[in-house]
Amino acid sequence: MNPLLAIIGPALHLLQGQLPASAPQGSNIVAAQAAIGSLFSLHILIAGLVSGAGELGPAIEFLGYVRQRRRYDRLAHGLGRFITLYFSVSSTIAILLITVLLVGFWGHFWTTIVTIGWWPLLIEAWTFVLQVSLAYIWYYSWDALRAYKGLHMAIGGLLAIASFLQVYMIDVIASYMLTPTNPQNPIRLVLNPTSYPLTVHRTVGNLAYIGFVFGAFCAIRYLRARTPEDKAFYDWAGSFGVLWGISMTLLQPVVGYSYAKEIQLHAYASWYKMMFGTLSPVFLWQITLLGLMLITATLYFGRRLRTDGAPGAGLLRALSVAMVLTTLLAAQPYHLAFTYADVSAAGLDRPFWEGGLINPLGSMIPWKVLALMFYTLIAIGAVVWYLRGLPGVIWGTARRGEERLLLLMAVLTMLMMVTMGFIRENSRAPFLISGEMTIQGQQNTQNSQPTPAP
Amino acid sequence: MARRLAAAYNWFDERTAIRSLLRKGLYEAVPVRGAWFYTLGSATLILILLQLITGIFLTLLYVPSVTEAWASLNYLKQHDAFGAIVRGIHLWSAYILLFVIGLHMVRTFFSGSYKRPRELNWITGVGLFVLVLGMAITGAFLPWDQAAYWTAVVVTNIPAYIPFIGSFARALWRGGDFVGPITLSRTFGIHVWLLPVILFPLIGAHLALLRKHGEFGSYINYRGAYRSREGVDVPPAPQQRPIEPPYPALPTDELWAAPLQTEDFYPHQTFKDGVVSVGLVILVFILAVGIGAPLEAIADPSTTSYTPVPEWFFLPLDELLLLVPQQLIPLVLVLPAGGVLLLLALPFIDRDAERNPFERPAVMVPGAFAVLFVVILTLLGSGRLFNL
Repeated sequence: MNPLLAIIGPALHLLQGQLPASAPQGSNIVAAQAAIGSLFSLHILIAGLVSGAGELGPAIEFLGYVRQRRRYDRLAHGLGRFITLYFSVSSTIAILLITVLLVGFWGHFWTTIVTIGWWPLLIEAWTFVLQVSLAYIWYYSWDALRAYKGLHMAIGGLLAIASFLQVYMIDVIASYMLTPTNPQNPIRLVLNPTSYPLTVHRTVGNLAYIGFVFGAFCAIRYLRARTPEDKAFYDWAGSFGVLWGISMTLLQPVVGYSYAKEIQLHAYASWYKMMFGTLSPVFLWQITLLGLMLITATLYFGRRLRTDGAPGAGLLRALSVAMVLTTLLAAQPYHLAFTYADVSAAGLDRPFWEGGLINPLGSMIPWKVLALMFYTLIAIGAVVWYLRGLPGVIWGTARRGEERLLLLMAVLTMLMMVTMGFIRENSRAPFLISGEMTIQGQQNTQNSQPTPAP
Repeated sequence: MARRLAAAYNWFDERTAIRSLLRKGLYEAVPVRGAWFYTLGSATLILILLQLITGIFLTLLYVPSVTEAWASLNYLKQHDAFGAIVRGIHLWSAYILLFVIGLHMVRTFFSGSYKRPRELNWITGVGLFVLVLGMAITGAFLPWDQAAYWTAVVVTNIPAYIPFIGSFARALWRGGDFVGPITLSRTFGIHVWLLPVILFPLIGAHLALLRKHGEFGSYINYRGAYRSREGVDVPPAPQQRPIEPPYPALPTDELWAAPLQTEDFYPHQTFKDGVVSVGLVILVFILAVGIGAPLEAIADPSTTSYTPVPEWFFLPLDELLLLVPQQLIPLVLVLPAGGVLLLLALPFIDRDAERNPFERPAVMVPGAFAVLFVVILTLLGSGRLFNL
């Protein structure tokens, strides 16, 4: 046995003996879940930004160096400041609140998952140290290393790697809880069926999220700016944020679909619950949110070009209409009841025009898949057209309407983040670790089979 | 001794003009900045030559028949350590070649080097990429182990999705309705004769066109002459070296005709080319010795328990096939063909003189997304394969 594990193993067993033997039961479980769920959501909303900023900030600094534009440097510096300010907030929630609550409420689960995921969690802890150290060095050496930009960018590159690793390691644990593998094999643990898709999904998502949020932040600063220089900078940065965010979001239909496919292949009960079960209305809300985000971004692009009379505003308006139509298609429910099981139980498993509760336009194949393809293609067109029109834009002239759209983008993105977290965590119910440990603390139970998919 | 060698060299030069040929070859002007990126072309060439040399060695032993192919390679694996290393070099240099030629294309695309007057360089390059991919695909059939057989079954079925002539094309390749001895003979013929016969003249054409127009480099080599649309922060032009052949290629494209700073191909660029190429060859050798070329059990068409795993360069397509609904599979299979046609047409679609990637959103955004999608699908595909 590894010497480190030999030291920590007995300590964990000792801790296990001191912890409450059973998980919360009855009405207490709802309160405990609500406490953990809301704190986790808050943590993810801040940690996602910190991780995204740790990856995007160095990339923007590099872009500024290549393009020789000072405003990129100012933006990257701002992101560095954000990390140094908010890293501790995110960590405090994670360590003090979540860990304490998890240990208190689900102590048995906590010691089990720490034993199973010992190495990923240890690396996770060290990447926290690495990330915060590099973030501070990167931010506070900005002026001191101005003459050594290559060195400064290299520190930024390391920060980006640390930020990625930190997300990846916690994803190993999160994905293991949904698709557990043989915990004795560390490679199988790290490369469990959903660890890759979840990491790609989250990394791309965090990068999009930080873009939208700093876009909204810049919108507020723009509205309060007094000098023409500040107005020009915040106008440009807001536009850059939404452009970056939407460019990353474009990748998500494919990545998210691939993630759902792996869940279907390796955690069928969870997939069924998301697509046909109690989570299907929430899943529908999620795909609608994606549409609303893309509509808002396309509207912003069109309005921003129109303000300065830049070419392309008319076409972007047409693309907004196409996006609305696509969202109407994507948001169609398949079963006109809470779950598909309700439809089956009522014996109304036929199209609604035959008196049933099934809406064929809401089926995943082909309609929702087609809607996802349309989303991607229309949004690529919108990004291209906006970029083509940008030389005609004069920064600092944006109107309040555009800034409101930037704020709306951030709100929609936050809703999206919380919705996705809610779906993922609840898809395992009644399990904490799929098929292995229930939320009531029982172990090795048999997973009940859901109603087969039509 | 030195005098004798010099005399021999002079004798040879008098008859072949080798001295002027070498001078012409080695003392051409090339761009200074970003020159490490321009080593990908020579690395591709070195890897293709490595393929040729190791391929010739392998044909001395390999027997293209369903009864002997696997046995001949198994003999190498079991009894001929040198032969096994040669086969390992052949396999790993093919893998790395695909990666390097892909990077070379991406670099050319992002730098806008395919634009006038270098359209034919690009088209021959796309042709070379397709041929190298063809060599990799046909090469995967040849070991005739389980992986090879099931790859052959899947790949030879792809032409069946071509409208009108699909069934005929599949039968032509397979030599009937099913994969069998004729499939192997034909694929071997395509791998060692048909594709190389097109490949090597195309390499010659690609190099000749490169010499005619000169290495374009990237827009950073034209800074100073280059005027940003936003007109800000472009640093002053560095000391300009007198323009020399093969620049400027076209007086109609003054801004992008010749880089501002150039240096001689020898020794500057040859050193960088050499470092990268030698590094890659060492890497290939390490992989060939350390991992070698796998050989699974002999092909068994009657098996029901074997799970075919695609070659890594098929992973994006494989992942996409898994994701799309059954009805859209033909569309996914024609995607690569559509992609190649689009690549061939690229210089004629993107005809604007602008080379700066940040000023070409109409091409760069879809191109960047395409590259990102391929990378992400490869990542997701590899993760899924691990959990099969």
